[in-house]
Parts: sequence; structure tokens; C-alpha cells
Amino acid sequence: MTAIATDVDTSPTPPLPRRRSRLRRRNSLIGWSFILPNFLGFALLTLIPVVTLFYLGFTNWNIFGTANWTGLANFQRLLGDTTFHTAVLNTFYYAVLHIPLTFVVSLGLALLLNTKLRGVAFFRTAAFFPYITSIVAIAVVWNLLFSPQYGPINQLLHFVGIANPPTWLQSTTWALPATVIVSTWRDMGYYMVLFLAGLQTVPRELHEAARVDGASVWQRFWNVTMPCLRPTTFFVTVMLTINSFKVFDLILVMTNGGPGNATLVLSQFIYQTAFVQNQFGYASAASIVLFLICIVVTIIQFLINKRRSA
Amino acid sequence: MSAITEPATLQRSLQELAERPPERDGRAPRSRGHRVARVFGYIVLVIAAAALLVPFFWMVSSSLKPANDVFSVPVKWLPQTWDWSNYVNIWTHSNIVVWIRNTLVLAVAVTILQVFTGSFAAYGFARVKFRGRDALFLAYIATIAVPWQSYMIPQFIMLSKMHLANTLWAIILLQAFSAFGVFLMKQYYETIPEELSEAARIDGLSEYGIWWRIMVPLSVPAMASLTLLTFVTVWNDYLGPLIYLRNPDLWTLQLGLQTFVSNQYAANYGLMFAGLVISVVPIGIVFLFGQKYFVEGIATSGMKG
Amino acid sequence: MNRKFAAAAAVSIAATLSLAACSGGVSTAPSATSDNKPVTISVSGWSLTTTPEFQVLADGFHKQHPNVTVQVKDYDAANYATLLTADLAAGTAPDVVAIKQVTDMVTFASGGQLVDVSDVKLSDGIKGASSYKLDGKQYAIPYRLDGNVLFYNKDLFKAAGVPDPDGTWTWDDYTAAAEKLKTGLKSAGSSALPAYLHTWNSQVQSFATAQTPKADMLSGNYAYMKPYYEQALKMQDEGLQLPFATASANKTTYQAEFGKQQAAMELMGSWYVATLLAQQKSGDADKFQWGMAPVPQRTSATAGTDKKPVTFGDPTGFAINVKTDGAKLTAAKEFLSYVESEKAAESLAQIGISPALVTDAVTKTFFGQQGIPTDSLSKFAWGSQKIAPQNPPSPKTPIASTALTAMHSAIMTGSTSLDKAISDAGAQFKNQAG
Repeated sequence: MTAIATDVDTSPTPPLPRRRSRLRRRNSLIGWSFILPNFLGFALLTLIPVVTLFYLGFTNWNIFGTANWTGLANFQRLLGDTTFHTAVLNTFYYAVLHIPLTFVVSLGLALLLNTKLRGVAFFRTAAFFPYITSIVAIAVVWNLLFSPQYGPINQLLHFVGIANPPTWLQSTTWALPATVIVSTWRDMGYYMVLFLAGLQTVPRELHEAARVDGASVWQRFWNVTMPCLRPTTFFVTVMLTINSFKVFDLILVMTNGGPGNATLVLSQFIYQTAFVQNQFGYASAASIVLFLICIVVTIIQFLINKRRSA
Repeated sequence: MSAITEPATLQRSLQELAERPPERDGRAPRSRGHRVARVFGYIVLVIAAAALLVPFFWMVSSSLKPANDVFSVPVKWLPQTWDWSNYVNIWTHSNIVVWIRNTLVLAVAVTILQVFTGSFAAYGFARVKFRGRDALFLAYIATIAVPWQSYMIPQFIMLSKMHLANTLWAIILLQAFSAFGVFLMKQYYETIPEELSEAARIDGLSEYGIWWRIMVPLSVPAMASLTLLTFVTVWNDYLGPLIYLRNPDLWTLQLGLQTFVSNQYAANYGLMFAGLVISVVPIGIVFLFGQKYFVEGIATSGMKG
Repeated sequence: MNRKFAAAAAVSIAATLSLAACSGGVSTAPSATSDNKPVTISVSGWSLTTTPEFQVLADGFHKQHPNVTVQVKDYDAANYATLLTADLAAGTAPDVVAIKQVTDMVTFASGGQLVDVSDVKLSDGIKGASSYKLDGKQYAIPYRLDGNVLFYNKDLFKAAGVPDPDGTWTWDDYTAAAEKLKTGLKSAGSSALPAYLHTWNSQVQSFATAQTPKADMLSGNYAYMKPYYEQALKMQDEGLQLPFATASANKTTYQAEFGKQQAAMELMGSWYVATLLAQQKSGDADKFQWGMAPVPQRTSATAGTDKKPVTFGDPTGFAINVKTDGAKLTAAKEFLSYVESEKAAESLAQIGISPALVTDAVTKTFFGQQGIPTDSLSKFAWGSQKIAPQNPPSPKTPIASTALTAMHSAIMTGSTSLDKAISDAGAQFKNQAG
């Protein structure tokens, strides 16, 4: 977006250096005045603890007592920690499955439900319901649905002739994909809401014009809707990515990392190390790794977005 | 994107658009094929909606069962006898009114603060160019990338020293200044054409005036979705109140219910689900009736031309 | 801007950490006596509305020391350790802290948060105190100790025509009885299963650790658990108990499985007695005749009412916050001394809690509860088994726990072979414990 530093002065000569720097300072002040209310709260309550956390990653703090600087010892330990490796791999596996699936499903839902059909409000509410339902209820119900012997899903699979259906959440192979399914089912309403808001920025006249020109539904979607939606898709992609790497609550309640370590993700590894094994410095180091993963991916997305919008 | 910049022309074209009979959505099915497709579509949607509501159905069903019947092999989807005592128990024996009051206070306060400071800050990030802006924004996003459990203890120690732990303020402060709101609003502001603000600036409006008079009204869908999502997050938040709100007078709904139904060895799931049903119904209603704000009518969507 | 950032960050980090470090202070010497001046001490407890033991102890202590008021602070039961940790770190924890898990004691003591209470005299015959010893010092005093017993449904046994347990069972006898129960129950028309094994990993592993000589949970070598897993898998495969996968998916509860007569036998901690009695009274559980028997043994050497059967269990106790001093410290120590006394044990037995100190008077009180089976085998099972510690007091215990929990679900769901899972768990433990 263009800056507001454009001078109203219409004289042909370029503005004097002093004027430009004064303008810059004025912009800074104005910019900061907008940001300050939110930033103060954010800096005090979130930024400071997060920076503290980064510091703790280089110490051996165990919540009580002093934090002794240990340099890169925690990170070296992480390199050799096979459980950590498992957690990282599981997290990536989960993210790679969850991100595209949720993106497509929630965008599809938003497009489908962005109409004025009668009763659409009810369907939108239904799509949002999994997100507002208690996680405990979700974990219980999906465990029941996926139950190996008596669960409806396997009974259905038996019915259509599959003799040995997978044991889903009780299997080390299928547990993670199963949690992806549940997680997508839960999140799609949330991202649908974000997409719905974004779809309101797509001008209807453009659609009309394109239709008059003979463009098909797909062409209209790809050439009109998607470009207009870019700020929203960027936002959704970033949030979806970060949330996927950070996934914790749902998996904890559904499988607790099991069976074995099949669904152990980074956030749970961090929680276990900090609160069960009481090694807070080590857990902080793992948090830093999680953070770095998220940030690298986010920066890549930022760069792609910048190039696209240029 | 479009050549329409003059407010007057804009106004006129909007008028025409608004007066044109609604085309795409409300029109009657032209052909029999269309009608069949529509009925089929409805059936699919109804089935999908039913599938989405299964856990809620399970919650209601379990809340009507005695404790030892909730989990069984094989699963009983419907209660054998409809036992309403769980609901009675919660309303009469627990402090649910206090919990609802606390939760409402928190949700409303946090939502208002989040929406307004967030959109205010988002304007600064989206429209005002100043040194360090992008780095600062990245720092905002970066903090979202850190799981809360990681820094919850240093944060707790800090708030305790400030004597804010065990007060509702702790939760309000923790949730109100999230980077999420800033990010959401910033992205939305970027879809609003620069020309509108330019015109307003020429007319002599200050940046603050532009924010209030132009950006805010045009971003109602985004603000509506931010309001809803923030409200839901605070309403369902469990860990934050667990750590910070120790005084039973301060408990929120989720916290109070969990404590009410559990003891050391087990939770009375029937009772817990009754509580969760009570807790989810207000949100569902808010969503059902607040939806129209995400999907604004024709009047404003045309402005983006 | 960046420099200001860094400076502010440094200051806040230093502040946060120095404040946290302050919580490891040294307490001043206790005053001579607390018998005269009024003193108030705060004690942490959990789920007070459903866990009456804390108030019972507080009231009993107050009767003995009228000048001391005991305030019990309510904590959430499921997240007790996290909440107490946060409070200790922030310096707002109560004077006396209840120790829910042995590993909590280790965490707090190694962090310098607990007072050394080696000088609190323990009653003769009290069990479980060794679980609270770290580096030779006693950091907490136990007030209750729940050992695992075998609950069995007398009515179902009679219906199936199988003789009740007689206290001499080994694991083979247990399996054999289950097999007989399976056919017997079927012909009696009952849909109950012979046994129910709850999904906790302790239900297989802790028996192995307790009953195998020289078994060490912290060795990283878990091959000694193999026979126990083979037994559990056998029971599962023969249909003698619910498969782990189903129990896990359907989140079956041990209260419902035994209380609603879905299973004829169940291994569970003695805390279940109070729950079962209460549920039978309220109608949440069926009304049937039941009893307690010693848990199955590894060999007949320890099996029998004339021998010492081995089971496992962990104590629950109290410790003193290191920030407590002066008159409060004296009062706190007196509170600790009270909770392990016979008087406290009797008051606990009255409400169905299994105290750490079991004497004849205590046994009499416990078995005076309404509805409790009073046969001699039940009394023997409850009071005379050797209760080996479930969790050794060591910083490595939580590391072993996480590895063993993963191992349990991997084996019992059939996802991993027994040998591989055992070696994986050992590798994980050694890798993380260093």
C-alpha cells in the first residue's frame, strides 16, 4: 500500500530534506499513536514473558531456584533426543495433512454458504458448532466413533466388505491421520467464518461482468474471487500453519500422544518436559525450536504474498 | 482495479445496483433440473449438518444419563431413562449464576478491548508507513507462534508480583491484546482502496477521523467475525482461568463446571455434559443471530469497486 | 527502538528470575512452643466438596490444638501439581502443602521448596514414609496409603459356580479362575466379563515392578515386565477382559465396570472402597455382595494368608512450604505429626480412607462402615499386604513414566510387538535420562 507521505504541495521542486524528515517523524508519531494502546498491553503481557522464555532456553531452570546459563547445552541435547525427533516428525506430518485439507474444506464451505438461500444461517451455525463444542465432548465422541470393535465407522466399513478395518485411534499407523480428520472437522467452521468475512470484499459487479463475458464458474472463482480474497487467504494460511504446528489440546484429550508415541506432537513434548519432568529450561529450548519452525514458514509465506501482491 | 473514484459516481452506481432486483440467489429455479439439484443440495446439507452436530447430540444424551451409564460397551446413543436431575443439580447446587456472570464480564470486556485496540493498531500497521513497522508486525505474529504453556509460568510470576493474579483483570489483560485481532483487521484494511482515504484526507479529515469514519464502517464483516471469535475463545477458555482465578467467586463457567463435577478419581461425566450443554447454547444463539454481520448486504460490498 | 527493547527485556528477565529465585529462602528457627498464642496455618487440598479428608484432618487437629486454626485451600484435583507449582513459584502457596504424587515431592524438594521434616517423629508401623525420603532427608509425612486389592463380585462367582478367591492365587490361578468364570457366566446367562483391567499402565507395570525381585523402574531395562504383559495380553485375547483398545476408545470407567456388574473381578486401589459403598447406597452402582482379596502373586512363595502378598501403592501426604517460619512452622510440624497419628488414622478410616497407619483399632473402624464386607479375607487384603512403592522418589521417575506410558499403549493395542516396545521404552528412558 502506498504511504501517506505524499506531499500535498504541487510545486515541481522535490521537498526539502528537512521537510521530508519532519514528515517521516510525523508519520512515525501517528503510526505509533495508533499502535500504542494495543502494543502496550501486548508488550507487557506477552512480549516480555516470550522474551524471558527465549532466555530460559539457554539455562537449566526448573521453575524453582536460579536459572544457570548453560549455553547451547539444551539444544545439543535436543539434537540427540529421539523422542524430540519423533515429536518434530509427527508435527510436520500432522501439519502437511491438516493445512491443505482444512483450507480447501473451509473455503469450500464459505463459498457454498455465502448465499442468501433460506435456512443458510442454520447450516452456517451447524458448521461452526464443532468449534464451540467442548473439546472433551469432541474427544469422547470421536473416540467412540472410531472404536475398533463397536464403533459405527468400522461397523460401516465391515458392512461394505472391508474385513479388517484399521483400529484408527488405537493404531500407531492410523492415529495421526485420524486426529487430522477430527481436527479439520473441528476447525473448518472457524476458518469458514474468516473466509466468509473476506468474501464480502469481492465485488459482485466483477462476477456479473465475468459471467456476462461467458466465464465458467471455475474461471470466475480462480480469476475473480481468489485474487480479491488474497489478503484473507494469506491471513488464513498463516494462522492455519501456526495453529497446526502448535496443535495441543485436541490431541492431548483424544490420544494423549499415544498409542506409543504415534501422536506425540511438539507442544505435548514441551508440556511433558516442563510440567511432568520439571525441566523447564529444556522445554523452553524446544519451544524456541517450535517457534523457529513457525517463523521460517511464516516468513516464506510473507515473501510469497509480497511478491504476489506486487 | 476500477475507475470509479468519485464519491458521487460511486453513490449513483450503488443506487442502481441496490434497485436492481436480486439476481443470483433469490431467483426461482429456472428449470426442473435446477430444482432437483437444489433439493439434492439441501439433503446433502442436512445430512452434513446432522453429522456436524453429532457430538452436541452426544453431550445432550449423556447429560440425561446417570454417571455410570455414560460410558459403556457397547455404546448407548440414547439414554434409557431421561434423567433431568443433572440439570436441576447444576442450577440449584452449584454457583452457576456467578460463573455465567463472570464469564460474561470477561467475554464482553475482552471482546471490546480486543476489537477496538486491535483495529486501531491494525490501521497503524496497514496505512501508516514508519520505520520498523514491518519488523514490529513480524514480532506480533511471532508471539502467536509460541505455545502458551511455554511462557505461562513466567507470565504468572509476573502478574502475581503485580498483584493481578486471582482477579478478573488478569484474564482481561491476557486476552485483550492479542496479535490475532491486529492481524485479522490489518488484512481486511488492505482490501479497502487507498483512494477513499485519499479523498477523505483531501477533505481535511485526520488519520483518526479516517479510521473512525471510513475504515470502521467498511470493515463490519471483519469486526463481526473478530468479535465472535474472541467472544467464543474467552467463553471457552479453561486453562487461563484455572491458573489465575483461584477464588471461587471469580470462577468462569468452564472452570466452575469442571471443578463441580470432578473429584480426585473421576469426573461425573453426565453432570459435566449437562454443564457443557448449558454453556454452549448461548454461543450458538449468538452465532445464529449475529451471522448477518459477517455477510453484509449489497450496499457496502459495492464500495470495493 | 531495538535497543530499548533489549534493555527492557533484560530488566524484566532479571526481575522475573530473581523474584523466582527468592522463593527458595531459608526459614528462621521455629519458636519454642505454639500452644498458647493463636496461630493460623493454611493447608492445600483438592476437590473439597467431594474429598472430605482434608477438612476431617483439619477439624481433628484443631480439637487437639485449639489455638491453631487450619484453613484448607481448595485446588483443582486434575491440575493440582501445575497449580501448586505456579503458586510456589510466585510465592503464594499455603503453609502446608498436600503431596498428591510422590513425584511432586521430588520436584518441590529438589527445588528447595520444602522444609526438612526428618525431626517429625513417625508412629510405629506407619507405611509409605520411605517414599518421601530424598537424599536421606524426610520431606513429607504420609497420612494415607492405598494399595491395590482384587475386588470380586461374590454374586457373580456364585452364579458361575466358581469358588471365591481364597488368598492363595498366583497369576496363573487368576487366569484359570477367569477362564472358569467365562464359561460359568455364559451358562448362567450373564453378559458380564470375568475381569476388567483398567487402562492405566500401572495395572500391569507396577505389579511387575513390585513383585519381581530386584526390579528397578529406573534401570531402563524393562524386560522383567514381559511375563506380566504376556498374561494381560492372554486375558485379552481369550476374551476374559475388555481389550485395551475398546476400553480406551469407549473411556470405560472402573467404577462403572465393577459397580454395574460388567465384570466379576477388578484390580483397583483401596480408595475404590469408599466410592463403591457410596454408589451402592445412592443407586449409581448395583447392590451386590462383593469382597476383597489379595492381588495375584508371581509365585506361591508370597501367596497365602499365612504369607506376605506383595502389591503396590503410593502414599498421600503433607509437606511444609519452606517459606513457613516462626510459630506457623511449629504449628505446621505439629499438624504433620497429627496426620500420621493413630487418632487421625481412625478418623480417616471412619470416612473410608485407607490410612498409612493400620492398627487393629483402625481396621475395626474401617470395617465398621455400612455395607462393607467384613470377612477375614477382605480385612487381610486391605490391611496385611506388603505395599511396595509405585513410584520411587527420584527425579528420573517422571522420565521413566512417560516412556512406560507410551510402551503400555503400544503393547496393549497390539500396535507394537512386546519385545520391540520394551526395548523402545528402555532406549527412550536412557536417551532422556542421560
